[in-house]
Amino acid sequence: MFLALKEFAHSKMRFFMITIIFVLTAWLVFILSGLGNGLSTLAASTFQNMDADYVIFEQGSQSSMSKSLLSNQLAVKAEQLPNVTATSPMGISMTTARKGESNRNEDKVDIAIIGINPGSFLEPRFVAGHGLSPDKPDGVIVNETLQDKGFQLGDTFQLDGSMESLTIVGFVENQTYNHVASVFTSLSEWRKIAFAAPGSDKGIPDPVNAIMLQGKDIRPSDIDANLPGTDTVTRGAATQGLPGYKEENGSIIMMLAFLLTISAFVLGVFFYVITMQKTHQFGIMKAIGATNGFLGRVILSQVFVLSLSSIVVGILLTYGTAAVMPKEMPFKLSVDLVIVYSVILLVIALLSSLISVRRITKIDPLQALGRVE
Amino acid sequence: MSKGLQIQNVTKYYGEGMNRLTALDRVSIEVEPGEFAAVVGPSGSGKSTFLSIAGALLQASEGEVRVNGKSISKLSARELSAVRLRDIGFIMQSSNLIPYLNVMDQLIVVKKMGGKVSAADKTHAHRLLDDLGLGSKLKSFPEKLSGGEKQRVAIARALIHNPSVILADEPTASLDTQRAYEVVNLIAQEVKTRRKAAIMVTHDERMLEHCDKVYHLEDGKLSLVR
Repeated sequence: MFLALKEFAHSKMRFFMITIIFVLTAWLVFILSGLGNGLSTLAASTFQNMDADYVIFEQGSQSSMSKSLLSNQLAVKAEQLPNVTATSPMGISMTTARKGESNRNEDKVDIAIIGINPGSFLEPRFVAGHGLSPDKPDGVIVNETLQDKGFQLGDTFQLDGSMESLTIVGFVENQTYNHVASVFTSLSEWRKIAFAAPGSDKGIPDPVNAIMLQGKDIRPSDIDANLPGTDTVTRGAATQGLPGYKEENGSIIMMLAFLLTISAFVLGVFFYVITMQKTHQFGIMKAIGATNGFLGRVILSQVFVLSLSSIVVGILLTYGTAAVMPKEMPFKLSVDLVIVYSVILLVIALLSSLISVRRITKIDPLQALGRVE
Repeated sequence: MSKGLQIQNVTKYYGEGMNRLTALDRVSIEVEPGEFAAVVGPSGSGKSTFLSIAGALLQASEGEVRVNGKSISKLSARELSAVRLRDIGFIMQSSNLIPYLNVMDQLIVVKKMGGKVSAADKTHAHRLLDDLGLGSKLKSFPEKLSGGEKQRVAIARALIHNPSVILADEPTASLDTQRAYEVVNLIAQEVKTRRKAAIMVTHDERMLEHCDKVYHLEDGKLSLVR
């Protein structure tokens, strides 16, 4: 550490430039992961925050709500099965909310109508107003982002292409589905909206899209065997089955993977070049009696200090960027994610410097004598 | 078993078979503590190889090297670097200081190579630099020092671990006559007062008057001149 810090102090410019490269890399990694996280939250937060363990879909629906349709009568049977502690049906349709009769662009907002049983474990906790109540079937609790679009508590809004109107009785937070705000209503109200066209329920009694299950030790195969025509998956798998979710996440993860791989090479080359420049010095130190371990520690501690400070600056810059980003930008940086990517970056930097350490072990102290004979 | 440096019948070959080149041919030399020996010879005579073997940088093909009474002929690379650190002080051709360390730190880093640095080590380093007339330059970086001052720092660096053997490789190569005299005089003085076994490899005949013995190396063969 002694030599590492002394050298920083003496060659400020050189290390400052490498730090800049590293800071930019870290910054980009954090921004990208924040955007990815924000996007996947926007796509699936209702599913991610749901207090369910397993989901029963219709067979052949590829774990997708929009492709699945089954009867709620199955829920009663499912509840009898081993390890199932509770069941609750759910239906989702995408639609558009319209404030009043206006035709202005800003008065139409895409929403996801989510039908649930009021008071069931699927109902999220409200942060304003009150929860769903069986007494008020057209009452809805909506994600608080709708407030930014001008929807207030007690407002009544129309649905585009439907005669139904809904009244906001409460707000919830972190509830989005398929990139739009979730609007929770009772199952009966949802059915009116989803199956407005005659025959669209395929004649299934009490139709729902899926049945959510609670129970830690549920074996999906048991459920499938007992309920013909169903397909049971974990909540995680159901999240993956959301339209576009996998693809979106896949692109972001791909970008991050490339970014991290490229930064490993870039940093590795930088450290290597710096080490090469100091071959002679390392030779002298070896001649005086420095071991490979001593010199290796010099390099590693240098890379460690450099990486750590770059990552910290990168984190600060990221939070700064997040503060000035437009509100609609789906950017969500969790502390967990920051820690994970910081550790990954640190490990990558240290690994990439190992090539330089290897180089040191090959330096011949005889070079230090500066003679060729 | 005597202290100092003993080299007995050391031979060093480079290459294999037909291309085998004998750099040193049965070289023997013995330097007692407090004795300052010089090895002179034309370029290509094997001076570098001789110095490398004496300085535990290179292993001899045959023969035995004893530093401070210990044979180093069979040691591993790791053990050799410990010998270089503890028992041998190197003064190199162009002082070869670390550019980003100030005069004091040049000595401290050598201490660091051996482990923790105590306050006593710092006092010792300070006193050593004072003795060598560098008391006012402790915080200076090598780029701010004159050639003579750099060489004095290199002498201090060689002495910091209190080694039993001092090896000087053309210590006057980049100095003018007066500075060269001062430096060699200083080495001679330190060798006497601190009882070190010292060998200076040089081709500068003017510097030999400070030395107790002078050896001549030519075509890998060493002979006593005086």
